Amino acid sequence: MLFHTWPFLVFMLIVLPGFYALRKTRLWLPWLTAASYFFYGWWNPYYLLLVVYSTLLDFCLVALMDHCPRAGQKTDVFARLTRLRFDDRLLKFAFVVSAIATLGCVVMALFGLQTLRPTMWVLGLILLLMTLGALYSSRRIWLLISLVNNLALLLFFKYARFVAENLNALFESLHWSVNLSDPSTLMPFGFEYLLPVGISFFTFQSLSYTIDFYLGNVQRERNFVRFATFVCFFPQLMAGPIERAKHLLPQFHRFPPVRLQNFTDGASLFLVGLFKKLALANYLSFYVERVYDNPKLFDAPALMLATFAFAWQIFFDFSGYTDMARGVAKLMGFDLILNFNNPYMATGLGDFWSRWHIGLSSWFRDYVYIPLGGSRGGMLRTYRNLFITFFISGIWHGANWTFVIWGTLHAAGIMITRELERSVFYRERVPRLAKQVAVFVFVCFAWIFFRANSLGDALLIVTRIFTAAWHDPQMPVLMLVLVALIWLYQFCYESRFRVILQSGLVRTGAAVFMILYLCLCASGGGAFIYFQF
Amino acid sequence: MRQWLVALGIVLVVVTLTPSFWKKLERFDTGPDYRIPYDLSKDYWLYERRLARVASTNIVMLGDSVVWGEYVMADGTWTHFLNREAGVGNKFINAGVNGLFPLALEGLVRFYGRPLSHRKVILHCNVLWMTSPKADLSTDREESFNHAALVPQFSPRIPCYKADASDRLNAIVERNVPFIEWVSHLQNAYFGQQSIPKWTLVEAGGDPPLYPNVYRNPLSEIKMTVPSEPANDPQRGPLSSRHKPWSTNTTGTTQFEWVALDQSLQWRAFQRVIEVLRERDNDVLVVLGPFNEHLMAEQNRPAYRKMHNEIVAWLAKNQIPHVAPELLPSTLYADASHPLTEGYQLLAKRLYHDSVFQKWMSTK
Repeated sequence: MLFHTWPFLVFMLIVLPGFYALRKTRLWLPWLTAASYFFYGWWNPYYLLLVVYSTLLDFCLVALMDHCPRAGQKTDVFARLTRLRFDDRLLKFAFVVSAIATLGCVVMALFGLQTLRPTMWVLGLILLLMTLGALYSSRRIWLLISLVNNLALLLFFKYARFVAENLNALFESLHWSVNLSDPSTLMPFGFEYLLPVGISFFTFQSLSYTIDFYLGNVQRERNFVRFATFVCFFPQLMAGPIERAKHLLPQFHRFPPVRLQNFTDGASLFLVGLFKKLALANYLSFYVERVYDNPKLFDAPALMLATFAFAWQIFFDFSGYTDMARGVAKLMGFDLILNFNNPYMATGLGDFWSRWHIGLSSWFRDYVYIPLGGSRGGMLRTYRNLFITFFISGIWHGANWTFVIWGTLHAAGIMITRELERSVFYRERVPRLAKQVAVFVFVCFAWIFFRANSLGDALLIVTRIFTAAWHDPQMPVLMLVLVALIWLYQFCYESRFRVILQSGLVRTGAAVFMILYLCLCASGGGAFIYFQF
Repeated sequence: MRQWLVALGIVLVVVTLTPSFWKKLERFDTGPDYRIPYDLSKDYWLYERRLARVASTNIVMLGDSVVWGEYVMADGTWTHFLNREAGVGNKFINAGVNGLFPLALEGLVRFYGRPLSHRKVILHCNVLWMTSPKADLSTDREESFNHAALVPQFSPRIPCYKADASDRLNAIVERNVPFIEWVSHLQNAYFGQQSIPKWTLVEAGGDPPLYPNVYRNPLSEIKMTVPSEPANDPQRGPLSSRHKPWSTNTTGTTQFEWVALDQSLQWRAFQRVIEVLRERDNDVLVVLGPFNEHLMAEQNRPAYRKMHNEIVAWLAKNQIPHVAPELLPSTLYADASHPLTEGYQLLAKRLYHDSVFQKWMSTK
C-alpha cells in the first residue's frame, strides 16, 4: 500500500478515527499493531510471517538476555547439562524448550517434508544457538543469535542469488564442477522468492534494539505488543526512517498528546512529501529511465543531465516518502526522526552523510563504524573503518557490484574531503558555494553507479560523458525549472532569507501551488525507489 | 491552522469554479452531424457537456462505434441519414462513443448521462459484445479493454478486469469529482491524452529520437477551443482504404462462441442501462443490430437466431419499443457489425419508415 494511493486514504480513514476512539482504553496500541500488520500484509500476506517471526525472536532474545548476568559470573555448565540445575527458571525453560525444538528441527530436516528441510536446518541452527545461550547464560550469545537471525534473513532474501551467481561464475572459471542451486529452490511450499519490501529497514530497526539493550543503552521492553508496534509501525515500516528504540519506543508507552498543530504539521509534511514524489520524482524518472535504459543512444549532455536528474529524483523520492511517513506519524501524535536535511547543500562528504538518510547513516556510525574503532587509533585505522562502513552501506542497498562501487566511492570521497579539511586554505579560503558544488558533482558521479542497470552500463556512461559528442540533450524545460526552483528554495532555506520562506504568505502560497499542481500535473503512481532495498 | 484554512479555501474555490468557468470560456462547436472526435473518446467530461447542449426536442442515439460510425465520416453516419430522412438538420444526435460496450455504456449513462433526462433516446444493441466470453468480459484471464474507468469497479464483478484497488478507487474518484474530470479533459483535448509531464517527453520517432515538446510551453498548447474531427480523416470515409466490404479482406466465415444471455455480463449491463434511462424518464427505443450474418458460419446461425429472439422477447415483455432492422446486403458491411456509408443510408431509411419507429416518434 503506497502513501500516494487511494487505498491508503481509505486505510487512514479507518485507522485514524479508530485510533482516536480508543485513546481512553488500552486498545489503541493493539489497534496500531493490527493496522501496521494489515498495512504490511496488503503487499504480501505470507511475508508478514517474517516480520512477526523477527519481532518475536528479538523480543524473546532480549528477555533472555535480561535474565543473564552482565559479566564475570561463572556458570556450572556440567551441572546444567546433567542435572538441569539453572539459577534462573526462564533460562532453564529456554534451555529445555530450545534443546527439544533443536532435536525436532533436525529430525524434520532429515526426515520431514522435502520442501521444509532447508528451513528446518536454519531453524535448527538458530535453536541450537539458543540452547547454547541458555546453557552458558551468555548475553553475547543472545546478541549473536539476533545478529545471525536478522542478517541471515537479509542475506538470504537480498544477497543469496547474487552470491550464488558470483560463486558459480567463479567455479566455472576455475573449471570446478560445483553449481550452487538458485535460492528460490530453498523456499518452503514453493513460495515465490521475492525480496520482502522493507526487510532492510525492519531488520535493522529490530537489531538496533537488541544491540542497544546489550550495550545498556535501552531498557528491556516487557510488552510484546508495544515492541511489535515499534518494529512494524506502519508509517516507517517500508522505507524508514530507521528509528531507535530509545526514541520511538517510549512514545508508545502512553497515548500521545495530540494537539491541533499535529494535524497541520502532519498535513504539511504529507503534502510536501506527496509533491516531491508525484510531481517531481516521478517526472524526473521518465527522463532518467529513457537515458539510463539505453545509455549508448545518448550523448554526453544527456547522460550528464540524466545523472543530475537522478540525483534529484532519488532525493525527492526518498525524502518524499520520509516526509509522508513523518506526516502520517504526526497525525497520530508521534515524532519520527528527520531523515534528510537538504543534503545537496552539504559542504563536505561527511556533512553530506550527516544530512542524507540520517537514520541509516547514524545506524552504520553507531553499530559498525564506532564498534570497529571509529576515528580512534590513527589515520590508517580510521580510513579502514570508514572503508568497511561504506562498503557495507553500499552492499546494504542491493546485491550488485554497482552498489559496492558506489559505497566505495563515497568512502574514498570522505577520505579525500577529510584530508582537504585539514588544510587551512580549504577550510577558510575556498568559498562555501564551491564546496557545495564540488560535493554535489561528486555525489552525482557516484549516483551513476547507483542507478546504472549494470556495471557495464555504468562504465559506458562514465566513458561517454567524457568522450561522446555534444548534442541537444532534449531535457524538458519544465523539468529544469522545477528542479531549479527547489534548489533555489534550499539555498534560501540555508541562508538569511529563510525567514521569508517561513512567512505565512509564502507557506500558504506554496501549499496552494502544490495542491493545484498535483491535481493538474501529477505524473502517475509508481513505487518508491527505496522499497527495493 | 489559519494558513491551512486559507490555503484550503483558495483551493476549494479554484476547484469548484474552474470547470464551470471553463465551459463558458472554451469554444466548443457542435454543429450538425457533430460527434465526439475519435481522440476524445475518453473525454467523458466533454461528453457530458455535449449532452447538455442537446435540445429537449432532439432525439439522442446512444451506442458504440456502430452509432458513432467507425468507417465513415461524420456525414456518413446513421444519425446523419436519419436527419436526412426526417428532413431536419439536427433532430437526431450522434451520441455514440468508440468501443463503448454495454458495461461501459452503463457507466457513461449513469455518471455522465444526466443531461439526457426526459428525452427520447434510441439505444443501439450490438450483439458483437456477446460473440465470445472474451468480448463479454466474462473470462477469468486478464484482459485490457477500452473505457475501463466506466465499468463497475467492484460490483458486479468483471472477472477479466484485474486492476488493483488503487486504480479502481481512482476511477470512482475521477467520475465523481468534476475538477479531476476537467483535468482529464485538458489532457485529452490538448496534450495527446496524457499528463502534462508525460507530454513534455513525447517521442516523435527518428534516429536519434526526437522529442518535439521538450522546449514547448505547455500553457501555450491550451488553445481554448475543443479540437474537432479532422476534415479529411485518412482512416474514415469512402476515400479511405478501410472503407470497403468485409469480404474483400476476409475469406470464409466466422464461428462465434455466443455467450448465453442469462450468463452474459454485457447483456445484464444493457438491461441496467435501460433501467437507468427509464428511471430518468427517458423514452427509450432499442434498435437491435443488424449484425452481419453473412460473415457467420452456417452452423453458428441457430445460436445467434436464438439469442436474437430472446432479446426481442425480453424487450417485448418489458414493453420497450424496439426495432430489429432487416439484414443489410453483404457488401454494405465493413466487418461484423459496422455498416459502410451506403449501409447507414439504407439502415436509416428502413428504420425511419418502420411503423414502430414512426409510432414511437409520434408519442410525446
